Formats: sequence, C-alpha cells, structure tokens
Amino acid sequence: MRGSSGPARTRRSAAILAVIAATGVAVAFTSGPDGPGAAREVGAEQQVNRETILKGRQLVLEHGCGGCHGGDANPAAPGFLAGITSPAQEFPIGACAEQPGAEPCWMTRPRNLTPDNTTGLGRFSERQIFNALRFGLRPGETADVEITSSTPGEGNFPLSPKYLAPPMPWNSWRHMPDADLWAIAAYLKHGLKPVSNQVEDSEGPPDFWASAYTEETFGSYPAPPFPAAAEQEPVDRSLRDRVLAGRQQVLEHACGDCHGGFQNPNAEGFLAGASAPGQIFPVGPCLEDPSAPCFMMRPRNLTPHPEAGTGRYTERQIFNAIRHGLRPSGTPDRDITPETFPADPDFLGPGMIWFEVRHMSDADIRAIATYLKHGLKPVNRVMEESDRHPDGWGTFYTDEEVGTFPAPPFPTVNEVGG
Amino acid sequence: MVAIVAALLVALLIPTAGPSASTSTAGTPPGAAEPDPTHALPADTLVTPPVLRNASREPNTVEVTLTATPTTLSLVPGSETAVFAYNGMVPGPTLEVYEGDRLIIHLRNELPEETTVHWHGLHLPWYADGSPFHPIEPGGQADFDFVIPQGTAGTYWYHPHPHHRSAYQVAKGLYGAIVVRDRDDPLPEVAEKLLVLWDNRFLQDGSIDLPEAQSMQGRIDFENGREGDVLFVNGQANPTVRIRPGEVQRWRIVNASAARVYRLGLQGHELLYVGSDGGLFEKPVPTDDVLIANSERIEILVRGTAAPGSIVTFQDLPYDRYIPQTRPRSWDKPRDLLTLQYTDETPLRMEVPSALRPVAWMDTTDVTARRVMVLTQGFINGKTMDMSRVDEVAELGTREIWQVENLVGMDHPFHLHGFRFQVLARNGVPEPFPSWHDTVNVPKHETVRFIVQLDDYPGKWMFHCHILDHENAGMMGILEVR
Repeated sequence: MRGSSGPARTRRSAAILAVIAATGVAVAFTSGPDGPGAAREVGAEQQVNRETILKGRQLVLEHGCGGCHGGDANPAAPGFLAGITSPAQEFPIGACAEQPGAEPCWMTRPRNLTPDNTTGLGRFSERQIFNALRFGLRPGETADVEITSSTPGEGNFPLSPKYLAPPMPWNSWRHMPDADLWAIAAYLKHGLKPVSNQVEDSEGPPDFWASAYTEETFGSYPAPPFPAAAEQEPVDRSLRDRVLAGRQQVLEHACGDCHGGFQNPNAEGFLAGASAPGQIFPVGPCLEDPSAPCFMMRPRNLTPHPEAGTGRYTERQIFNAIRHGLRPSGTPDRDITPETFPADPDFLGPGMIWFEVRHMSDADIRAIATYLKHGLKPVNRVMEESDRHPDGWGTFYTDEEVGTFPAPPFPTVNEVGG
Repeated sequence: MVAIVAALLVALLIPTAGPSASTSTAGTPPGAAEPDPTHALPADTLVTPPVLRNASREPNTVEVTLTATPTTLSLVPGSETAVFAYNGMVPGPTLEVYEGDRLIIHLRNELPEETTVHWHGLHLPWYADGSPFHPIEPGGQADFDFVIPQGTAGTYWYHPHPHHRSAYQVAKGLYGAIVVRDRDDPLPEVAEKLLVLWDNRFLQDGSIDLPEAQSMQGRIDFENGREGDVLFVNGQANPTVRIRPGEVQRWRIVNASAARVYRLGLQGHELLYVGSDGGLFEKPVPTDDVLIANSERIEILVRGTAAPGSIVTFQDLPYDRYIPQTRPRSWDKPRDLLTLQYTDETPLRMEVPSALRPVAWMDTTDVTARRVMVLTQGFINGKTMDMSRVDEVAELGTREIWQVENLVGMDHPFHLHGFRFQVLARNGVPEPFPSWHDTVNVPKHETVRFIVQLDDYPGKWMFHCHILDHENAGMMGILEVR
C-alpha cells in the first residue's frame, strides 16, 4: 500500500499531476497564486497543548498526509510521515507523467515530516510549516516570517516564491482555518517521534512551479463568496450554515482534484465528475506491472442532479460513502453500525480516499453531504461507473493497508506525548 | 507548452561559447614593483599577479596603496570589457607579508559607488575588516594599520564586501591574493605558483553578463550563485605551467569565484594536499582531487611524475553542489583550468618533507558556548541580514563550538569573519587532522562542527554564505564579540 500502487498515492498522482502536465509549465517569473485579502488572522498561532496536537493528528489523518509521506492513514504504520524510502514512491511530473521517458520530467519526492533536526522538520518553525500549508512555500527556501499577503513582494510574501512541488495539495490545504494549520504544525513538531530519513530533493523547473500554480486552475484563496458560479443557495435557508461548513470541507479536502474543478467553485464542471486529463485514471496491479489487470477510476458527478449526480442518494448514503467507503448505489440506505455493516460490502474504488477522509468528524461529513445535495447546482453529466473489482475491493481494504477507524489511540509507536 | 519549457531550459542551462584567453594581468617575482611581465613569456604561460609595492623603509613593515577604479581591459580575446580593477589589473596585485609584519594599507575608492575591501581570513581589528559596517564612499579613502599574527602563514585574499554589492563588484573584477609567509617555511626549496581561480560570463560585445535579478538567468544566478562559462587562472583562460620531470611545485590556489566550487584534479597525477585557508597541515595528504569551495584556499604539491615532454591538464572535475531545480546541464562535464607541460630536461630528484609544521587541536574542554547555525536557501536561522540587528553575542577571549546545519539541497560555503577555526567533524565524522579555516563548505543536507577562539578583537563580525549572490541577498548574520 505504501508503494507506488497505494490508493492514496493513486489519487494524488492522478488529477494534479495531469493538470500540471497538461497545462505545461510556462517558465515565467511573473506571479504566484494571487488572491485578494489572503492575509491570515494575526495572532492566530495556537498554543501547543495536547488538545492542539490531537486536533493536528486528526487533520493529518483525514487529509491523508501519510498517503504520500508514508504510513497512509495509520499512525502506527512503520515510517508514518517519515518520507519516502524507495524510488518507486517518487512521482514523475511533466510530460513523463503521461508518457514514461518523455521530457521534461521532474521527480517529486515526499519529504520526511517528522521532527528530526537534519532530515525532517525539526529545525523548521511551526510558522514555516504554516506558511508551507497556507501559501505552498518551501520551508527551506522561505524566510521564517509572518506572511500577510499572497501577492509576491507584498506582506512578506516572497518576490520570487518557491513552491512545494506537485502533487503536494497545498492549494487545497490552504483553505483550512488558521487554527487547523497551526494544529497540524504542532502535531508534526511535537506529536511525532523524530525519524532520521534523508529524502533526496524533489526536482522541478527553475521557477519552482510559480507559473504552474495559476488561480485559473486551482482557484483563489480565500475562496470566492458563496454561491459561486457552480453553486446555489439552499432552498431551505436553515441549511445555509451547514452548506457553508460542507463547502469548506470540500475545498480543503481537495474533492475537486478528482471530481472536477479543483478548488474553484466558479469553474465549469466543479464537482460534476472527472473531466480534466488524468482525472480518469487506472488503479490496481497494472501500476506496477503493465501487463497486469487495470481498473479504471471515474470520479463521479457529485452535484445533486437527480439522474446523473448525488440527487439519487440520501445524505446518509453520502455519509456512509465517506465514512465507510460504501458505494451508494450498492449499499442500502441505513445507519451503519457494526451490526448493520454489509456482509458483502460494495466499496468505492481505491481512487477515492475514503479511508483518509473517514477520519473527519460526523458533523463535517454530514456537512459535506448537505453541501453536495443543497449547495451545488445540479449538472446533467452522466459518468460511467468506475470499474468494479470482482470482490468489491473488500480484500483490498485491510486494516494493515488503510489503518483502522477509529485511529489507534494516541500515542502510537511513532508518536510522542500523552 | 511543455516543449517550450524544455527549449527554454536547454537554452538557459547550456553555456554559450566563451572567450578563451586574457592578457589583462601581469606578474613579477615577489617584492618587486608592478611592471608588465608578459613581454618575455609565451602567450599561454601562466603569469603571476605582481606583488604590491612596499613603500615602507621600516623593518617588518609593509605599506601599500590599493586603488579601486573603473577601467577597460581585454579579459577575452578581441574585445574590451569595462571592469573594476585594483591598481588597474584583474586580478589585483598580490599583497605579500610575513608573519609578525605591521601592515599599513591605504585604500582609495575611485569607483562610482561605495565599496569596502575585506581582507578575507586575516585576524585583524574590526574597523579594518572591510565589512559592510565600514563603507568607503566614492572618491573616499581609508587607512588600515594592523599586525599579522604569528602562526598564520598561509594564502588569503581580498575582495569587496559592500552590502548587497559584493557579487557585482567581484564580477566586475575586484579580487586579489594575499600571501602571508613564514620566515621558517618548511618548504623553502619548492618552486611556488599562485593560482587565483575566477570565472565570468560575457555578452557578445565583451561586456560582463549581469542579468536582471528577476529574469530567468537572474533567478538561476541567484539560486546557484552566478557562474561563468569562462574559467580564469590569474586572469588567463587555460594558461600553461611548465614543470621539469621529478620537480615538485607548490601551488597556492585561491577560489575567488562568486559561486563555483572546484574539484581540482591533475590528470594521471596524485596530488599532495598540504594546506588549507590558514596554511600548512602537519603533513602532506595524498589525494586524487581536492574540493575548494568559493573563497577557500588550498595548497598542494604537484610532483612531476610523468615522462619528459608530457602534457596533462589540471581540471575542474564534476561536483554536484546544485539544487535540482537549477542544476546546470553541463555540471557533470570536466572543465580545463590549466595545462601542465613537462620539459625535456633530465629528471630531478626532489624529496617532499614528511612533516610540515605543528598544528595542535584546539582544546574542546573549555568551550563556553555552542551555537547552531541553520542554513536554508538564502537564510541563516530563518532570517536575512539586518545591519541593525545582532544575531549572536559572544564574550571576547572565549572559545565556542558552532554547528552549521545545511537543511537544503545545495551546498553553502560558510564563512566567519575575523577568526579562524578548526573543523571538528563533518556530518558526524571526526576530522582526521587539525587544520585552519575561515570558510567551510557545508554540503547539501550535511552538518559541520567547528571550534573557534574569539580572541583579541571585539566588534561586529559577519558570518555568511560565501556564494556571493546569497550573501548579497542577506544570507548573512552578525556575531558581536564583546
């Protein structure tokens, strides 16, 4: 699972890489992602305490940091967040992402996020980690300062920003509230044991991806006011707060990376199903052996269209999909308990990282369901279903591979605190 | 779009063909004035920068005048280049003194901008350090008067150090060597060559290529430090040194390049590595190649072990100091620096002493402070230079251990002003023998520990990355010794 065929990695390596490869990298040095009012709340830095660390842990799990950085969503897994250990875990970016051997080709190597001083984040401040998550700025190439703008040259934002390499989804993570980003930083710095694992530097163009991260593709920060072009006010106005909460979760969990529109609710086809190159992608043994079977993942239309989208399903079915990975079309609409869990579960394909996002709180998952059902305009776009595994992926999702839910108690063998 | 990117990268990362020779400098035996020495030599013979004329008649006193001025020189064949030069030459004349000498320097700034001259590696009063704290206005002058300490015989150099302008002024031609001699030199019989390495890049009209900071090349220059495709030794491209079979020559080498790190090797020859920034080791160290980061100096013994008439090349061998994003495509190609031509004379028999000079380890038991310097790309401890800020405070006369950690994917040569140090360990591996340094290269993702004695001179001393573009951008801090 932690190799190149891991489900989380598959998700990461699909849409973002494809859009980078498709749009190319115009190596200009004009601007970075630019959004009005991108300043964070002054003084929002959180005091580091157990509560903050545990919050950061939950956020790390639900955002799937371990999918690329090691250990998937299992804090007890060997090498959890300690960075890649094999070239097979690298991501090819550029033309070679589509066609092996093509140029240009850059390798991204997810780093060691444990607080080891020389190989991890130990020498970086929580503010530098915050700046990496909010602004995408590489800690090693960015001053340890408070940044109050995302316009190059203003508010301590570097004139020549150096961005984390794709597929690091900072453009999604940046939508988290300040307190959440500080909590993640606190967990990485204070909740993990340091592991010495030097990961070779990622490669990239000499502009450090500045021309690749465009607002047009990845949306703005902050997100445009609700309702944006792809959205609508809920008919039942009492649902508005929950719709907004769900929208926030959808943006920060990068649903649009696979389901369309990235983090831009103004984008045509936002969450209306895969459309960009790479958003339909293979999973399965063929990733490691081209002659082995492939299963095509086709991220579905999540808008509330009654035939083509989630209009067919209840909010509970959507909840069960996110929390338990149960395919709505193949699972009865009922509350899921250990007793009612299907004997022969029909799971979502491993492109969908439900085993990461299931760590969200009940309220957050319900909010997502409410947003999808009531906050999006329905789009009549019929998507073919993803290929089904003969056993409904049941043998694929073992605790060993995807961790357990709930997560093991804190601290695990990889963690420190208590 | 991808194809455009690839083409751009290729265009930017492959150096253009450059000029191949220079006639800008002159050399004479130490102690003489500054005549043009090239008149009797073949065009490709290495010339040595002349020694600054000593105007003092006092014993054990060297009094010199150095003037920085704009001028035009032919650095490359067939074209004239507007340069800044010390006493009209690139490199500047060599400053030679003996241990214990009183050194008086009169410095005149005839440049159209502020400058300073940093006497790189010398232990001297703060006011004389030539750091950004003591700029000399255009048309201004400054006088320095200090004593060269005993035990510091070695090869040093001088260069400008104005705030944000060091890279520019060195690129324009301001650099020169300093040789501090020992009256009891352990290698008295060995012929000596001074090799000052420098590189530069030129536009077709012969002018120095200094791109806009925000241009593609400007950005690459910032990341890597500005490198040139023309490699100079004493201002000449690929000059020739002659050696008699069996002869031993002592080569003092200064890396005056803004950013280029040289891995030096002589085809088919084992080198004897005998000295670092602060002079000779205790004994020679055989090696196939020696790394010399920018601003470092080394001394090597070259033994004429090849057959009479042989011609071999002294090269800059591949060394990957670069961050992947801006690594030049040609980084893995060796570059010729100098041609060594054997004479047809009968071989000499020369012995190399097995012992050079005693160098004792500094005592680590009475260290009063330990500091960690975290190097990232353009920052030290997450900060850029602020002239109004003191980053570290130390007590005069104390001894400290500094741990310099490089967290990023390219090398950073770390330089401390005013005080020499001994490297204790590199990446946890103890240094095999003691030696003196004022600069140490900290390779990508590695850690270097050194010990330093902060004696004699209070003041605000700079520590910085000696990739001049990084220094310019503020990868520098201030140690106040009180």
